[in-house]
Amino acid sequence: MARELAGFGRYAGPATLILASLAGGAKHGYALTKDIESFAGVRLAPGTLYEALTRLQGQGLIEALESQDRRRPYQLTAVGAEALRAHLDTQRRVADLGLRRLASQWGTT
Amino acid sequence: MTGTPAQRTARLLRWYPRAWRARYGDEFAELLIADITERPRSWTRAADVMRGGMTARIAGAGLGGGPLADGTDQASASLVSLACCAAVFLGLGAAIWSQLTIGWQWSLPAARATTVAMVMLSAAMLAFAVLAAAAAVPVVWCVAARRSRRLAAPVLLTAAGAAVMFVGARHFGNGWPGTGGHVPGLVPGGVAAFYWAATLSVSAYWAHPAALTAFPAAELAWMAISPVAMGCVAAGTAMTIRRAGLPASVLRYEIRLGVAACATMVVFLSGCCAWLIDGGPGPRNLFHAGAIDIVSAVVMAVAFAVAQQAVRQARTM
Repeated sequence: MARELAGFGRYAGPATLILASLAGGAKHGYALTKDIESFAGVRLAPGTLYEALTRLQGQGLIEALESQDRRRPYQLTAVGAEALRAHLDTQRRVADLGLRRLASQWGTT
Repeated sequence: MTGTPAQRTARLLRWYPRAWRARYGDEFAELLIADITERPRSWTRAADVMRGGMTARIAGAGLGGGPLADGTDQASASLVSLACCAAVFLGLGAAIWSQLTIGWQWSLPAARATTVAMVMLSAAMLAFAVLAAAAAVPVVWCVAARRSRRLAAPVLLTAAGAAVMFVGARHFGNGWPGTGGHVPGLVPGGVAAFYWAATLSVSAYWAHPAALTAFPAAELAWMAISPVAMGCVAAGTAMTIRRAGLPASVLRYEIRLGVAACATMVVFLSGCCAWLIDGGPGPRNLFHAGAIDIVSAVVMAVAFAVAQQAVRQARTM
């Protein structure tokens, strides 16, 4: 796991989902919730979402843009993009290995 | 869970600290209103917001890992929490210590555990005094150098609380005949009486209102006023640290003193436990440990745990 996300503990999940969502462009809180729900099937509760946003912003992985009305969009920073890439590479290696072992031991379905 | 989405959102937002609401309040409210409109009934959402609010409050106190919403230096927040814990610890600890030192004025303790406890408690109190003075010097220096109007109110609050504590404790300590013993002890009788009077409010008598009515009116008034004065000193100190904008070098120095303070708390608690577990009341019940002493020790242990967390958090910054 990328060093920046390693300290998140149980928030690593929401953090990854948020960074993955922001990789597609800047979004505000509600848009993030709907996007994550659409691609991951998980609805982040408001408190959890903002706890993760606060931490990600504090670590410089995301940044806030100018407020639109009362909604404030967030976007990925270069550091955040790199952290997400490193994290997803690790996840892909784990997923590839698991799938290969499943195929060899249990056969393909 | 009644009212319009805006009203319910306003109620939920109160779980978060003011600084967090100032930074994230509007956008978070928009999200909550949209969520409530979409899912009007959700206990999990309410529980999640409550948990998030508590986490933000813990982070705001410099006790958690999250960044602070208002950009305040986290080390300052941790230092404030440490100061508050130290105030609670010292208030209760001084009450226990002065009770034992006054007992010693009249007779040597019968149990070895009480003697050992007294040595440990007295050494710890001396260390606390040195640490408090060492911690105060750079803060006073910074405040004096800054001459900021924002610091006037907290400094006045601290000074007023300290003045009331000093004058009141001197008055009631001098007037109490209980310090008239003559056994040479570890601690001068005047010092013991001063701390006894300063912590007169830490008393089991609060649970016995009938007995309280027999107290002189002035003493009762002091029992009510002194905790307020102690609170003023603690609150004033906390606000001063928050507003002083202490430089990083001073913060590092204060955190090192915080580590020493935590170590001193361990010594004090160890001595306290020795007395509570194996001390015994004698002779003449002078060293009797009551329920209030056990409760005080538990509260002090909690204060120590929180102080240690504050120091640990501050050291990671």
